[in-house]
Amino acid sequence: MKTFVRPKRWDQPFGSLMTDLDVERLLAVPEISAVEESKFPSHCSLKGILKNDTRIVKYSAGDIVIREGDYGNSAFLVLDGSLKVVLFPGLPKEILGRTTVKKKTFWQALKQFWGQHKFPEVRDIKKSRDESLVREGQEPGVVRVFLQDVPAVLDQNKTASLEKGALFGELAALGRTPRTATIFAEKDAELLEIRWQGLRELRKYDQGWRRLINERYRKNALTAHLQATSIFSHLNDDDLKEVAGSTLFETHGQFDWHLTYNKLQSQDKAIGSKDEPFIARQGDYPDGVLLVRGGFARVSIDRGNGQQTITYLGAGDFYGVDEIFRAWQGAVNVSMRVTISAIGYAEVLRVPSKIIEKHLFQYWTDKKKKVRTSRKNLNKKSKRLQDLIDQTLSDGALLEWAVGERLVNGTQAMLINLDSCVRCDDCVSACAAAHEGNPRFIRHGKTFENWMVANACMHCADPVCMIGCPTGAIHRSMSGGMVIINDDTCIGCETCANSCPYSNIRMVGIRDNEGYSITDPQNQKPILKATKCDLCADQVTGPACVYACPQDAMKRVNFQETGFDEERQGF
Amino acid sequence: MKKDKVFRLPRSLVYACSGSLLFILTWAWAVRTENSLGISDFSTGWVLFFVIAFLALFGARKRLSFLPLGSASRWFKIHITGGYMAVFMFWLHTGEVWPSSFYGQLLTLLFYAISISGVIGLLMETVFPSQLTHTKMEVIYERIPKELAEIRNEVEALVEECAKENASSVLAQHYLETLRWYFQRTRFFMSNVCGSEKPQHWVHQQCIILERFLNEKERKYLNKVYLLAEKKRKIDFHYSLQKMLKTWLLIHIPLAGAVMAMVFWHLIVIQVYFV
Repeated sequence: MKTFVRPKRWDQPFGSLMTDLDVERLLAVPEISAVEESKFPSHCSLKGILKNDTRIVKYSAGDIVIREGDYGNSAFLVLDGSLKVVLFPGLPKEILGRTTVKKKTFWQALKQFWGQHKFPEVRDIKKSRDESLVREGQEPGVVRVFLQDVPAVLDQNKTASLEKGALFGELAALGRTPRTATIFAEKDAELLEIRWQGLRELRKYDQGWRRLINERYRKNALTAHLQATSIFSHLNDDDLKEVAGSTLFETHGQFDWHLTYNKLQSQDKAIGSKDEPFIARQGDYPDGVLLVRGGFARVSIDRGNGQQTITYLGAGDFYGVDEIFRAWQGAVNVSMRVTISAIGYAEVLRVPSKIIEKHLFQYWTDKKKKVRTSRKNLNKKSKRLQDLIDQTLSDGALLEWAVGERLVNGTQAMLINLDSCVRCDDCVSACAAAHEGNPRFIRHGKTFENWMVANACMHCADPVCMIGCPTGAIHRSMSGGMVIINDDTCIGCETCANSCPYSNIRMVGIRDNEGYSITDPQNQKPILKATKCDLCADQVTGPACVYACPQDAMKRVNFQETGFDEERQGF
Repeated sequence: MKKDKVFRLPRSLVYACSGSLLFILTWAWAVRTENSLGISDFSTGWVLFFVIAFLALFGARKRLSFLPLGSASRWFKIHITGGYMAVFMFWLHTGEVWPSSFYGQLLTLLFYAISISGVIGLLMETVFPSQLTHTKMEVIYERIPKELAEIRNEVEALVEECAKENASSVLAQHYLETLRWYFQRTRFFMSNVCGSEKPQHWVHQQCIILERFLNEKERKYLNKVYLLAEKKRKIDFHYSLQKMLKTWLLIHIPLAGAVMAMVFWHLIVIQVYFV
């Protein structure tokens, strides 16, 4: 029998250079010295968190620390120096290292016919060098995007200062939401970067950090989220405050779920609801409405020895109104009809029953006209849920597969009907013609019956590829919502390619006009760039693959809007 | 949205109706020309020329995938409709199924050949994809040689290991005598294209006849070899059908070029000597 030392959480610390001296220094920082060390369990000591879940990072004046729209998995505490938050009107995309995609005109499109390079992946290196927005950081091997003219930025934008002791980025890190502002170093600064796991422990074991983060969350994000939910849209500010005050925050599963997913995929193991953390179980007493704020949740029922997936909930969806409403009306023995579990990771808000009764059912009763419509809607949803519960195993098999493979994450998945596809590869050729002579997808992928989800970027609702990009080159387009890569600021670090759970990002070596591979003069290694499907954002035709398919066998689909679950919004 | 779907006619029906209408109008025009003592061959000839020219443009459209010229699927449907219509238009124009002149016969032969290749191609494109799907595996055509080489190496390693472990050469000998032929390259091309079960039976038979000469341990190896042979059979099936799907165009497209060249010459001759 082979033995293997069980991997531990801190086997791979966040910052490899953190020393005991650094930890001692951090313990003297007021924000950390206020933490009650004794409250932390021995397996998760404060010193352990500081050594393994944090790192000290240095920024030079002008370096961008976080960019608006980025996805990050860490928060920052200012140890020294001064930072600026850009409030209004915000920095232009180009300064942030982003790209502006413009549609080609008809003539520009036509020019592609003869203007193609002889070799694939040719880049104009002179242009890239001239317009470079990145520079070496203070730590070895670290690259930072920087602002070339800080005074001009300060002149043209309304900014706020962040001084020693300020904490920022914690809501985006814990909520897996995009950063809402750009922050850059006004002067040389030293920051403590805390990865989300450490932040979660600090919030869990220390009352001060918990209060601080919760208060900020309630103030900055929760009210807006509640107001955007259909069942609370009628509430005024005071009522919303009351609802927000009573709402419980829960995170289920792992923030970096893609690591576990990749591991299981490499072992050819299917992921079922039994492997997922439960949010609520079938038969339990429904104690509140569950609102999904981030990630996805599987809705399943017990069947035989297993669980049958009947639908899933994404950000903005909710569950539980029906059960609570029936209990409120006097029905006895009301219990959860389904089990809800986190598909990888889910951030859930639990609004207690009492609050729902007061602010929703009471409102329906007061507004008699409204209540009829709302009850009618509720009955419809309840019936719809019952229909889903009653569906046969074969009817629900496609959804079961899509949820199990986490394909529900995709908003632009490339779905191929294999019963129509003649394997002519016209889609691949068209993609290559639109992208430097190299296709941005592989006509191969996971299949179920006659459906194939090809290896093309799905432009995920929860884009894990965007977490950790050091230059913010991979970002979500503000106009189309698609995930795109700025080739000029991509440094070829492969973080995004390694993070993508679906292996849809590929690293390619770039060439010059003569077809020679471009290499790094220091080590002669080829310069790599991350490439992926960009939905042909610059092409007049839209996605070239779909446009070129003569059999109509290919579609780009949003799994949340596909026919198998078109009325899924809330129950 | 659902209502729209209900009231929307299937696109192929719209194309078929439009094609039929164009044919009827051309026919009516021809009859009218004949009735007024004109020569209808000119009118039907020009319509036929434009239809054939449009059919040939589909190839160019494929190369200009980045231009907003309409989706390839729309072009393809129009191409099919136009193809059927061209046959009827051809008969309307020539007034006979087989002309008497040599040039006419050659042109007709090529026209029939391209039409038949088109119909066969369409038939294959309708039937083969679902047959490929039913194999429950997908393989990219260009990767087939690599896949086969991997299977062959795996099988040879198994056979070698079996021989070493059991000090018996039965499986190895059978491999050298029979199975190696099968694993060397793709086999049973026509059987696969015709949908025959011969490959399946062959693979099964070759493993069955060996079974009674093997001990328990060797049988485990044989089972593994059988599974790989089955995988290879599916790859062969993919190879055969995908090869057909790719190569019929190599007949259809050159024929299209030849027909277009002859049509142009026919047009020049008519314009020079008869108009």
